[in-house]
Amino acid sequence: MSQPIKLSIPSDPKYLGLIRKVLQELLNSHDVPDDTARRLILCVDEACANVIKHSYEGPCDEPIEATFTIEGDDFKVQIRDYGKQCKIDQIKPRCLEDLKPGGLGTHFMNEIMDEVSYCTDRAKGTLLTMIKKLKTGLTSTQDKR
Amino acid sequence: MSMDLKMDKDGDSVTVTVTGDIDMSSSTKVRDALGPLFQNNNKVIVVDLSGVSYIDSSGIATLVEGLQWSHNSKNKFRLAALTPGVKDVFEIARLLSVFEVFDTKEQALVE
Repeated sequence: MSQPIKLSIPSDPKYLGLIRKVLQELLNSHDVPDDTARRLILCVDEACANVIKHSYEGPCDEPIEATFTIEGDDFKVQIRDYGKQCKIDQIKPRCLEDLKPGGLGTHFMNEIMDEVSYCTDRAKGTLLTMIKKLKTGLTSTQDKR
Repeated sequence: MSMDLKMDKDGDSVTVTVTGDIDMSSSTKVRDALGPLFQNNNKVIVVDLSGVSYIDSSGIATLVEGLQWSHNSKNKFRLAALTPGVKDVFEIARLLSVFEVFDTKEQALVE
């Protein structure tokens, strides 16, 4: 895929289904196995949900820009927002032993993706980059423990 | 995909059948449906997830909240018929063993 696929959605939860559908089609067209596709879609959905919750904190008409690239073995997604910047060292998953609602999105991204990085070196917002090597396929939770 | 909820009361048990995706836009609807069930005399509350192909962290959080309500109210809170996609998310969250999970809603209601 020489050109990245770019999609911009408003910061409204009702558009999360749209971004999942587009990504599903893209991954299908590259013959990405269903199990892997499902997990990549989860990561992108969680990243966008985090932008809605933590960067824009409410308004539903702010832009969330997603860029998908599949090059060789790498699936790369970048999520750009123009909202509040978080301190990168404070973005971390909660302890899973502590049974409480919420805080799992970051855990999913870290667990599933090979690389997750945040860049706030810009005037506004954050650029999140996530990369997954497709040929490695599923990484079981047991393998990462 | 939009989400639908259906409730079936049978004696002192109630089954909540969810169809569609449970994500940030729909999990509140599930939460609003589950909450009052713990205030009534429902001995067993079953959430049938056979029609759910996608769940995100907000959906999982809603079910964790249901589990906590059940601990406080002594109602049994059970999940039934997890699809492979939903089961996978529970596994990544390492929450599968925390819930009472059944293959079918019938089993969840009987046992």
